[in-house]
Amino acid sequence: MRYAEPQTVEEGVALLASTEHARCLAGGASLVAMMHAGHAAPAMLVSLHRIQELSAITETPEGLWVGAMVRHRTVAADTRLRGAMRVVRSAAEQLAHPAIRNMATVGGSVGLADPNTEIPVALVAASAQVEVAGPSGRRLVPVESLFVDRFQTSLGRDELITRIFIPRGPEGAVGHHLRFSRVSGDYPTVSISLVLAMEGATCRQARVAVGCCGPVPLHVAAADQRLVGTPLGEQDIAEAGQLLARAASPVDDVRGSAEYRRLLIPRLLGRAVSLAREPAHG
Amino acid sequence: MADKIPLSLTINGTTHTLAVPPERTLLDVLREDLRATGTRRGCDQGSCGACMVLVDGEPVFSCLSLALPLRDRAITTIEGVEQGNALHPVQQALVQHGAVQCGFCMSGIVITAKALLDRNPHPTVEEVRQALGSNVCRCSGYAKVVEAIASVGGRP
Ligand SMILES: Cc1cc2nc3c(=O)[nH]c(=O)nc-3n(C[C@H](O)[C@H](O)[C@H](O)COP(=O)(O)OP(=O)(O)OC[C@H]3O[C@@H](n4cnc5c(N)ncnc54)[C@H](O)[C@@H]3O)c2cc1C
Ligand code: FES
Ligand code: FES
Repeated sequence: MRYAEPQTVEEGVALLASTEHARCLAGGASLVAMMHAGHAAPAMLVSLHRIQELSAITETPEGLWVGAMVRHRTVAADTRLRGAMRVVRSAAEQLAHPAIRNMATVGGSVGLADPNTEIPVALVAASAQVEVAGPSGRRLVPVESLFVDRFQTSLGRDELITRIFIPRGPEGAVGHHLRFSRVSGDYPTVSISLVLAMEGATCRQARVAVGCCGPVPLHVAAADQRLVGTPLGEQDIAEAGQLLARAASPVDDVRGSAEYRRLLIPRLLGRAVSLAREPAHG
Repeated sequence: MADKIPLSLTINGTTHTLAVPPERTLLDVLREDLRATGTRRGCDQGSCGACMVLVDGEPVFSCLSLALPLRDRAITTIEGVEQGNALHPVQQALVQHGAVQCGFCMSGIVITAKALLDRNPHPTVEEVRQALGSNVCRCSGYAKVVEAIASVGGRP
């Protein structure tokens, strides 16, 4: 195996392009575990830790740009992630435990595309965009179109994630992530991320994404629409939850059966909505 | 067989000069190259916490950390936790509370607890539990471990 520590994104892209089966190394939390288990055997590791721009967080009037190498721990502590953007901070706060949050990065979570993890779900709820660098420059991709299947992204083999844009969202919006796991610190059985904007007692905008219930974060426009224009009453939430549960394609595994996961969706949705709407929240 | 790459690592304040293949983890370097076996190997998957070390004061799994990117970072292992010849307060508390059984998990637990107390000197019992989410004790005697660590910060 070869190993390289490029200093710039362009050098990193050139290295990826130069070698078949090269892989980016971010925090290594998943990649090294996969190498130990024989699930990954890269011909070259392109370590991203010396590329300074990847560790930057930049605020603009429209939102926050978070560098791919920013660790979950830093995201969890960033109070600029308020309002709708809070959904991403909330997911990072609850992800596993301090040792993982301290190693693992946002870019690593997106690059891994594991449907059982939290950050992809939160980024879908936040309508985030991913900046991707390749041999012909950079492009901006809606995060939803980046996830194509379990552990599979639409990135080319010579492309890397540079940063992620989290939009501020509608005025007055709130975001929240809720994970249910039987053992604290374990991967969730189901997780829900949502962004809501209220006008008085009426919901003006809603965006809900569900984790662990399909090959990619589950987002159903009809479920969002079922909530819009309502006071988010029990019936509204139950029906939106049913739309999500029907569209879900969860698997049976040690953390829960597919049926159990489907049953959890509406219940967790109700809880996530009330947590997001708590006045002290944010 | 991959080529070895020269590397210097600062562990418990001492700089070690080595040459390692890229896939070598910090845990391999500690246990096999430096024969510092206080850091344990349990699962090699980030699931047990036996291999915990501090990097720049924060807990990380040495089994998931490749050695090469750790150049220029300050690494603390269980061997660096004692102060002079005295046990660290966490170690003392674990002994006093009778919180050690076979001891296999303890290096990792002491390291995790030290990181917590350095950042948050008076953790609540719940905060101790959260921090120890990364550490599995196969003897499963968590109650006394949590009590002992919380007692160091003065919150029984
Ligand atoms: C014990 C354990 C428990 C965990 N528990 C949880 C949990 O409860 N919730 C949760 O959400 N997650 C959990 N995770 C997963 C964790 O979120 C991921 O391991 C982590 O985010 C990956 O980040 P990393 O920086 O370590 O990436 P790496 O492991 O370095 O990389 C992961 C993948 O992404 C690719 N990659 C990395 N950076 C880029 C980039 N910039 N551009 C393109 N590709 C890139 C790599 O090539 C690799 O394929 C857990 C992981 C472990 C090991
Ligand atoms: S050996 Fe590293 S976590 Fe188990
Ligand atoms: S004391 Fe035996 S593994 Fe914890």
